[in-house]
Amino acid sequence: MLLFLVFIVAPFVAAIALSFFNWDLLTPAQPAGLANYAQLFGDRQLVHVLANTFVFALGSVVTHVAGGLLLALALNHVMNRILASVVKATLFFPLLISWAAVALLWKYVLDPTFGYIGYYLRQIGIPTPSFFADPHWALAAIIGVDFWHTIGYTLIIMLAGLQTVPRELVEAAQTDGASSRQVFFNVTLPLMSPTIFFATVITFIGAFQIFDPMQIITQGGPNESTMSVVQYLYLTAFQSFNVGYASTIALVVFVIVMGVTAVQFWASRRWVYQS
Amino acid sequence: MSARPATQARDSTATVPRTRRRRRFSTGSLVIDLVLLVLAVIMASPIVWLISQSLTVERFAFQLPPGWIPVPFTLDNFEQIFPLVPFGQMALNSVIVATLSTGGALLTSVLAAYAFSRLAFRGREFIFITMLTALMVPVQLTVIPVFIMMRNLHLVDTLAALILPALVNVFAIFFLRQYFNSIPRELDEAARIDGAGHLWILFRMLVPLSSPAISAVIIILFQLSWNDYFDPLIFINSPQNMTLPIGLVSLQGGAAPGPVVVVFAAVTLVVVPVLVLFLVFQRQFVASVAASGIRG
Repeated sequence: MLLFLVFIVAPFVAAIALSFFNWDLLTPAQPAGLANYAQLFGDRQLVHVLANTFVFALGSVVTHVAGGLLLALALNHVMNRILASVVKATLFFPLLISWAAVALLWKYVLDPTFGYIGYYLRQIGIPTPSFFADPHWALAAIIGVDFWHTIGYTLIIMLAGLQTVPRELVEAAQTDGASSRQVFFNVTLPLMSPTIFFATVITFIGAFQIFDPMQIITQGGPNESTMSVVQYLYLTAFQSFNVGYASTIALVVFVIVMGVTAVQFWASRRWVYQS
Repeated sequence: MSARPATQARDSTATVPRTRRRRRFSTGSLVIDLVLLVLAVIMASPIVWLISQSLTVERFAFQLPPGWIPVPFTLDNFEQIFPLVPFGQMALNSVIVATLSTGGALLTSVLAAYAFSRLAFRGREFIFITMLTALMVPVQLTVIPVFIMMRNLHLVDTLAALILPALVNVFAIFFLRQYFNSIPRELDEAARIDGAGHLWILFRMLVPLSSPAISAVIIILFQLSWNDYFDPLIFINSPQNMTLPIGLVSLQGGAAPGPVVVVFAAVTLVVVPVLVLFLVFQRQFVASVAASGIRG
């Protein structure tokens, strides 16, 4: 309880307090009133990094949820046990590796000169950009790496969700002459909707706080095209030593995540199946 | 009497389309099998490439078309890690930080979860809801005040700066409380009649009964700490206090950058033990994610 107070509640309150100060961690803190909040509105870089983060989060949610659902359905159809477990193992394993190792590895996997993915794509006639150096591709490349790293999590959730779809219901629908497409859209998908909803919320919350791959692979570049809002916060606090403004940005992140999550819950009443 | 023929009739009509469906399905499922097989190869390829390049003599590594087999074979790249960064020390730091963080957080979570699940005290619901809200507070929000706190305690650039904030984990408390709530209270009462105290009930009864939840929490907490990059980046400066994730990155761009093969060798040294552990404990790992993901 005490630890909870010291390391979670107190910092939370302190972060709010800090957002009303200007402090460089060296000289005494100066009260700033609402200046940090006023600064938010004129901060074009903040708008830019928030846009990047939204694009990343959206890309991450779409690829993970759609990919996870399709893979779970496909794996459910695989009869060969060995194939199924090999596929699952390759999809789960990257989840266990730290972002640091994943980022260092993929930096070279997608390297324009000696990365093998670009090489094979060129061999089959697809021209490849230099993924992390091209401002139009860098963020998409990081979305791809993130997919490789964490699809296992979504897949586990989706596979567990599929287990909750009663087999009798699917068989009953098939008996009544429903095509497999009808079974999917009218039975499986509605019964999976709570799982899909959960995966969407969790993926969004995680993705909006993305930091590691940007920091390690691209340092936010090229041209700040991959700088995430958490990275901007980190740079503001620990490179520019503007702790007060960084706390204000942290609160903005918190409010956005809470807000989007609340909207998702509100919207879920329209599409998530409740038994 | 009349119900039986009806069900029989339905069964017989069901078997006819089912056999047909299965046959039509087999071409489709062959395609699915092939697609998944290709996907598995693509998913696994970066790891295979990582290991093979790190075992190849530097001059021959990273060639195109890529060499998937390490020829000429060498272990030199691994030897070169150690003069550049104190790799052994970093691995030891990671073990210390992850073990103490996990053990400590497990102890506090078990105690707190017991309080929330079994004890009636004033403000319990209020505190619990405050904690749930805290579940949504991102680390980035609390890290600045925690940094200032650590600076005032002169703990910056020590392992304690990584361990202390990790000693409380709201998710673990919530998860264990949910599990404790699913264990019938009648058991407590029976134990209490036999003279058991709170700690006996908790550690001799609830904890053993919750072993699936406990092992899930251990796996998740350990992994969180082991893989953390953000906190060490902020709290740790000197190489001998670094944990592995930040140490790996320092090898690439820090004070003493090594050749890429050496970076790959270091990444391999970090990844391969995890790969072995994963292959041994895959089932427990997947169960922990499934359980926590669905309940948390």
